[in-house]
Amino acid sequence: MRSFAHINARTIDEAIALLRRYRGRAVLNAGGTDLLSTLKGEYLSRYPEVVINLKTIPDLDYIREDDGLLRIGALARLSDIVRSPLIISNCRVLADAARSVASPQIRNAATIGGNLCQDVRCWYYRYPRHIGGAIQCARKGSGPCLAVKGDNRYHAIMNGKRCFAVCPSDTAVALAVLDACIHVSGPEGDRTIAVTDFFGPLTNALRSNEIVREIEVPKVSGLSGQTFLKFTVREPIDFAIVSVASVITREEGVCTDVRIALGAVAPGPVRAGKAEEMLKGNRIDEEIAARAAEQALAGARPLSKNAYKIEIARTLVKRAILK
Amino acid sequence: MASPYRFIGKTTPRKDARELVTGRAKFLDDRKFPDMLHGKVLRSPHPHALIKSVSKSEALKLPGVRAVLTWEDVPDWKGGTPRCCRVLDRKVRYVGDAVALVAADTEESAKEALRLIKVEYEVLPAVFDMEEALKPGAPELYEDFPGNVVTPGVPFFGPKNLKEVVIGDVEKGFAEADVITEGTFGYENMPNPIPPEPPGVIALWEAPDSVTLWVSNQASYMDSVILSHVMEKNIHVRTIGGPCGGSFGSKYMSWQVQCYAALLSRATGKPVKLVLTKEEHLAAFTLRPGSRMSARVGMKKDGTVTAVQGTWLIDTGYYSMTTQSQVAVGCGEVQIMVKCPNWDLRPVIVCTNRSASGIVRGFGGQELKCCLIPLLSLAMEKAGVDPLEFMKKNFVKPGRGYFWRDGIWYTYRGVDYTKAMEKGAEVFGWKEKWKGWLKPTAVDGPKRRGIGVGVHGNADIGEDSSEAYVRLHPDGTAILFSCITEHGTGQVTNYIRMVAEVLQLPMERISITPSDSLINPYEFGPAGSRGTYAIGSAVIAAAEDARRRLLELVAPRLKARPEDLDTADGVVYRKDDPRMKVPWKAMAVDRTITGYGRFDPDYSLTNCMMTFIEVEVDTETGKVALTRVVNATDIGQIIDPPGLENQLNGCLGSAGIDSAIFEEMVLDRSIGRMMNANMIDYKWRTFSELPVIKNVVLETPFPSHRFHAVGIGEIATSPGPSALLMAVSNALGVWLHEYPVTPERVLKVLGKTGSGKGGAA
Amino acid sequence: MVVRTQKYTRKRARETDRISLTVNGQVCTMEVGTAPHQIDPAHTLAYTLRETLGLTGTKVSCDHGACGSCTILIDGKAALSCMTLTVECEGKRITTIEGLGDPGTGALDPLQQAFVDHTAFQCGFCTPGMIMSAKALLGENPSPTEEEVKEGLSGNFCRCISHYHVVKAVLAASCKGR
Repeated sequence: MRSFAHINARTIDEAIALLRRYRGRAVLNAGGTDLLSTLKGEYLSRYPEVVINLKTIPDLDYIREDDGLLRIGALARLSDIVRSPLIISNCRVLADAARSVASPQIRNAATIGGNLCQDVRCWYYRYPRHIGGAIQCARKGSGPCLAVKGDNRYHAIMNGKRCFAVCPSDTAVALAVLDACIHVSGPEGDRTIAVTDFFGPLTNALRSNEIVREIEVPKVSGLSGQTFLKFTVREPIDFAIVSVASVITREEGVCTDVRIALGAVAPGPVRAGKAEEMLKGNRIDEEIAARAAEQALAGARPLSKNAYKIEIARTLVKRAILK
Repeated sequence: MASPYRFIGKTTPRKDARELVTGRAKFLDDRKFPDMLHGKVLRSPHPHALIKSVSKSEALKLPGVRAVLTWEDVPDWKGGTPRCCRVLDRKVRYVGDAVALVAADTEESAKEALRLIKVEYEVLPAVFDMEEALKPGAPELYEDFPGNVVTPGVPFFGPKNLKEVVIGDVEKGFAEADVITEGTFGYENMPNPIPPEPPGVIALWEAPDSVTLWVSNQASYMDSVILSHVMEKNIHVRTIGGPCGGSFGSKYMSWQVQCYAALLSRATGKPVKLVLTKEEHLAAFTLRPGSRMSARVGMKKDGTVTAVQGTWLIDTGYYSMTTQSQVAVGCGEVQIMVKCPNWDLRPVIVCTNRSASGIVRGFGGQELKCCLIPLLSLAMEKAGVDPLEFMKKNFVKPGRGYFWRDGIWYTYRGVDYTKAMEKGAEVFGWKEKWKGWLKPTAVDGPKRRGIGVGVHGNADIGEDSSEAYVRLHPDGTAILFSCITEHGTGQVTNYIRMVAEVLQLPMERISITPSDSLINPYEFGPAGSRGTYAIGSAVIAAAEDARRRLLELVAPRLKARPEDLDTADGVVYRKDDPRMKVPWKAMAVDRTITGYGRFDPDYSLTNCMMTFIEVEVDTETGKVALTRVVNATDIGQIIDPPGLENQLNGCLGSAGIDSAIFEEMVLDRSIGRMMNANMIDYKWRTFSELPVIKNVVLETPFPSHRFHAVGIGEIATSPGPSALLMAVSNALGVWLHEYPVTPERVLKVLGKTGSGKGGAA
Repeated sequence: MVVRTQKYTRKRARETDRISLTVNGQVCTMEVGTAPHQIDPAHTLAYTLRETLGLTGTKVSCDHGACGSCTILIDGKAALSCMTLTVECEGKRITTIEGLGDPGTGALDPLQQAFVDHTAFQCGFCTPGMIMSAKALLGENPSPTEEEVKEGLSGNFCRCISHYHVVKAVLAASCKGR
């Protein structure tokens, strides 16, 4: 790896101050599992001068209950989330999503904040510099999205705009059905962003010099069924081709509350609002599940090689509803 | 039946086991030399371009940078068949082609130097598809290959070397057929064997014309032979092998990496280490050749093939070193699998602007059969023939024969494999599961199960030459001189096992020399499945020769004729009275005894592997799950039970069965780049998704060497891919003819993908 | 190369001038900096182990966290040394393949011995990483099921397909197997 200066931050405020000081020349490091790959590939236009280590900020890896809410510090590791009794008993879908990430070694290092902020997996965007040079694209600020005319089998079927990379985060999908929000801190103070508003086609909602501090998750009724389904070429290691998370509450067979989110189909997790409405107040059976699945994908506009993702997404939505 | 052997067929720890599990085994990148420099390669951004100028002054100014070499700085060393590919050329022919070489004190400064080299290119039009490359007016990669057709033939295989299969009269054959099918079939996903250890080398040039290379290769002796062809003839090349972190054929041809390091060492006078990154390994090292066949076959209702006619296009990427060899072996292997009196199969090797194809286990035959078996399957369906019966009937039997790679006809003199195939079928439950063509074995909601079968055989088990020495010492120990590196098969231990059996000497008392070309005799290396029969024969012969010399020498001491003596545990004794004995020390303490053994090629034996496959396909997601594999073979005599089991389990990975499920290199043909040159996007099998594998191994003694064994390892991967395609087609009730069967392809044949908007390719 | 022009950086760099970690029971204190003998902030733990400390038992294959060859233990947990910055390992307890078994007597760890007994390798390049992943697994779960072993090793690449023998070896070395 090319060299950089390395600074251990002691507080969030210090990390923010450092980001300000280095004005785009510094990057944050939490678990490192995405950042180091980015640095080694050297595919971004600018190589950072400074890496700011966040792991030295004390007490930012908590998972605690607070007044009907779960609060998860940005540095909580995925392996801790997988095992947390609080999470398992209150929002199991998040534990399942975290368990589906990569491999045991990665989960031991990766943090929830990092999982949400990781960069996209688009293979044009990430094409390594050492094999003939990096590929410029809209996401990097210049050039078209080559995926549109190229091999877009893993790209977006919804909401792509200039960039068709999908959100690679599994936990984001679970958090989207949990109506979670992300607390961020920045030079102008703190603010809260709904998980579903956090992701966009070219970048996430973080303003410059902002840092994810905490994830806030409303507890889910113990009666709810929670499901996370992830379709990949292989079970471990892979990023999702499509994922679906759902939280469904039934009373005497009738669906009283339903939340469904799709992952890896768009720049961020997508809530299937119309499908949710269709199900609410109804008895769930194969037929309505299939109709809701159809509805959830109604807005899909595939690229040349990824129409198959629509069928997989429909299947996953249907299976999540029926589970 | 009790085994007649003391060592052969016994489970013992591998000689290198302790080194491997403690991390003490020194793989190439674990070696360091004082003053060692690090080499790096600047790679082309264009798939086809002329280098107009290179400015290296800025790079040379960087502290720690010792040399920057471009095409203008290097001698006219060329590889390829025929020799066409300059080690650094004025022209680049794929994205990733070498433009400049740098040696520096550290890897980082070498990389930094690459960033400072300024290159001006004249970009040329590029071509990525074989048929496009063959069209008049297509961009040409080499002046020597008009129309991008690579000169056929392998001079090394002899004057009649096999370039095609043309036998009998195909028109007559088609006239006799009950059914005729035709079509175009491809196995073009270019799976990459990706051994975990990347290709690499350390070179030390010693003035004026001598170079030593520490290599990581399955056949380290051959590196010295290959390099002496590439470099000027007066250069003396010494190669030293070490443990090899996987090869699967691929690292056999590492001449480019080796030349890069040698040139940098020559320029700097220091040892230079050059190890490819995994990205380079995936995007700028060799891949399996692409294979596409347009052909027609005629078949009778009883499964007799009456004619095969067609063109076999082989995509070799930007140059060929061994593709002609793969074509020759593939053409031989297809005759081993299919009995047919009338052939007109014409291969055409095409070069295109992508990274080169090279050696991958399966060596031509896997590529050809992955195209031919789907075509034969169409005929079998029409004729109502069960594929298992077809393969049993058609696979070579004693007395039948084939033209092998040298163009010479060989009559097969090995065992009849029918018994092994039947045993495999029984273990798999073929009879119960086979419901007919395009019929699933079972349906459970959206999940459908299907089965398939494939077969492969290779007469390379006796290919090429090997030599060995065995030296006996007065203290009752022995050393095997053989230029063999351990690359995963366990064969180094097994050669020691063979020597142990001949000398009746405990394996702990036998060691092997480092695989240094300077001290060991000629060794073609464990290519294909030649290890057990070819290399084994040389080793056995050397041990027998040493034993004979020993007995002759001490016979007078025991007042007997040599033939009345035997040896065990470092003691020579009289067979009629074992109390009459002397230790090996009787040879004299100031003496050693050396035996010599040689193996000359024998193409009259072939091995055989039949693979049965069961899959479960989710018709709502397109996911193909490999649920069960049964491999069936007969290898004469098991030498090393766990080693064999491991090798047969290897059927999945290294561009084997999984090349039909998810392994592929993704080339974006609009920009000529490999999009998935990383270990996340290049798919490989993990612990989480292991199918049940059962290996059925018969031991019918072979007329090979004194242990009646033949090798099998290489072809474990070969029957699987076409069997998998067959299984998925049967599960779905629709033919699938493209590798790999991705969810996209499965859903597409099921009519579950609408057409997408936009997009070129 | 990074030019440290900012005063702030210089000050902080001095503060973290040295780094101390325990490798296989031995405390290693090293200087941080850009000189050849120092730990550059960009050095991965894999690099430091192999190149600075000479512990080449840890292998690097993909160098991008996808293959598990470089797996070591950090405070007892399986970690990818190619995706870990050495400067972020202050105070950590690192165990590598060289740290298994008894260096005094040369006795192998039972897990290593099980790999030997089951020929749970072919080319052996992935073996150190595989053993370290298995070591972490058995540390957390001394009696895993076969499924748990597969899950525990799901981040480790083996191209030869020695998986079947590895699973047997790990089960044999578990409490259940012994």
